[in-house]
Amino acid sequence: MINLEQLEPIFRQVFDDEAISLQRETTSDDIEEWDSLTHMNLVVALELRFKIKFALGELQKLRNVGEMLDLINRKLG
Amino acid sequence: MLFNSFEFILFFLPLTVVVYFLLLRRHLTIAARSWLLFASLCFYSWWNVRYLPLILGSILFNYTVGGLLAEYDAGVKRGVSKKSIFLCGIVANIALLCWFKYMDFFIGTANGLLGTQLPFLKIVLPLGISFFTITQIAFLVDAYEGLVEERNLLNYALFVTFFPHLLAGPILHHSEMMPQFERLRNKVLNWKNLYLGLTLFFLGLFKKVVLADTFSAWASAGFDTTQPLSLVPAWLTSLSYTFQLYFDFSGYSDMAVGVGWMFNIRLPINFNSPYKATGMIDFWKRWHITLTNFITTYLYTPILRAMGRITFTNSLVAIFLAMLISGFWHGAGWNFIIWGGMHGAGLVVNHAWKKKKYKMPAWLGWLITFNFVNVSFVFFRAKSLAGGGQILAGMAGLNGVVLHKSLEKFSLLRDAGVTFGKWLDAIKGNDETWITAVVALVIVVSLKNSMEIVSRVRASWGWLALLLVASFWSLLDMSKVSEFLYFQF
Repeated sequence: MINLEQLEPIFRQVFDDEAISLQRETTSDDIEEWDSLTHMNLVVALELRFKIKFALGELQKLRNVGEMLDLINRKLG
Repeated sequence: MLFNSFEFILFFLPLTVVVYFLLLRRHLTIAARSWLLFASLCFYSWWNVRYLPLILGSILFNYTVGGLLAEYDAGVKRGVSKKSIFLCGIVANIALLCWFKYMDFFIGTANGLLGTQLPFLKIVLPLGISFFTITQIAFLVDAYEGLVEERNLLNYALFVTFFPHLLAGPILHHSEMMPQFERLRNKVLNWKNLYLGLTLFFLGLFKKVVLADTFSAWASAGFDTTQPLSLVPAWLTSLSYTFQLYFDFSGYSDMAVGVGWMFNIRLPINFNSPYKATGMIDFWKRWHITLTNFITTYLYTPILRAMGRITFTNSLVAIFLAMLISGFWHGAGWNFIIWGGMHGAGLVVNHAWKKKKYKMPAWLGWLITFNFVNVSFVFFRAKSLAGGGQILAGMAGLNGVVLHKSLEKFSLLRDAGVTFGKWLDAIKGNDETWITAVVALVIVVSLKNSMEIVSRVRASWGWLALLLVASFWSLLDMSKVSEFLYFQF
């Protein structure tokens, strides 16, 4: 089971912002740098870090941190 | 059948709604869904029944391939791999689209490059084929990647053909549609949804027949004329089309969403005041939103993944390619490829700018974005590259400046080479033309959009009066038959 604290460093690195703090409710609207382009960097960073693979149809759902966490844990579990 | 026709508004829509809910009241849910499917197929065939077998064949083929993919068991030895089934499905869909949409473009290009004399096939584009092909490609991709859970042929066929979206979107995703046809609470007539749906429908109809169709006359005159346009009519031609396209397409989308609500079905929102955008990234978050989502998910991402490493440069290349393909999806012609390329380039510049953390005042961002979009739509509308070039030359002032006679007394203008006289005759315009364009600019920049308006609607006499005025005005203006612009894509 991974948690928010494990996601945070990845977000800070991808979006180049040390001030990012994540909540389950955080969405792509809350982080200025999070657009369709950086979204892919985030997805790939997550795939490498947790050795998982997202399907194309899942990518739009990953715009919400809570759903992202659940999906990653489902894939790891 | 057109949304803006009396047979749709007075006959087809009421009959479909009433029978649907009568069947549901008797708990005949399968019959009700079948009725909706039957009505959708009638809606499609109204235009040309010859293409009914085409859409039915496409649905059955994709449903079957999707089923094979979803149930593929890796443990069982088979003659064909999952990947080859998937690729066959994708290739078949693209081949169908190529045949009906791009053959003459390929033939023309080959004739031009190789000097051959191949005859054109002059195939009629089946209505909605671009839309029902890409929604089903998305279905196959998801089936291949194990995301398709629900597989009911009736729900699937209804998802593809449901008449509000069938001809020009919004582009739907099976995972947000198919479950809705199953949900129980969607099956009781909901007066609130019916009222809000009707309001949204008539707001959309108003945008289409009162606003878009007014601009259509000037845009057509300007783009069809062979004489060179001077400065002002050239600008009014391009602005007329920019306003026509928005009111036409967003009006159509409003009507589609509104009709969906009447059946308690939520279709995705397609527009969010796009001409308020202050940058190109912002524009594509507001314009044809369901297409943006489709391109991001099913074009941009696979292209980027195929390139191996995710770098900033690779992302920009992927964005550009995805927009180029999206341009070509809109139509078989170089002008559409240029349009896509322009938007790709605009997004690339915007992303690079953002990465550098440069700032720009919002008003300047808006001014650049709006003008860039306006110029790009010249290529979107023009029948050929040369035709688009003609309009742009006029907009740049290369064909001179002609102004209204009343301005002749200003010697400054005369000295600058301005002539005076019949300044808007070339686009069959008059003073109403520029006044309407100014009004439209104010509307799209400062007013709330139809979704925001509908979210404020209450059951009050005031709103009812507004709804009645909008609907009667639209119905009175509906005497002429005019197709929606996005039917040609």
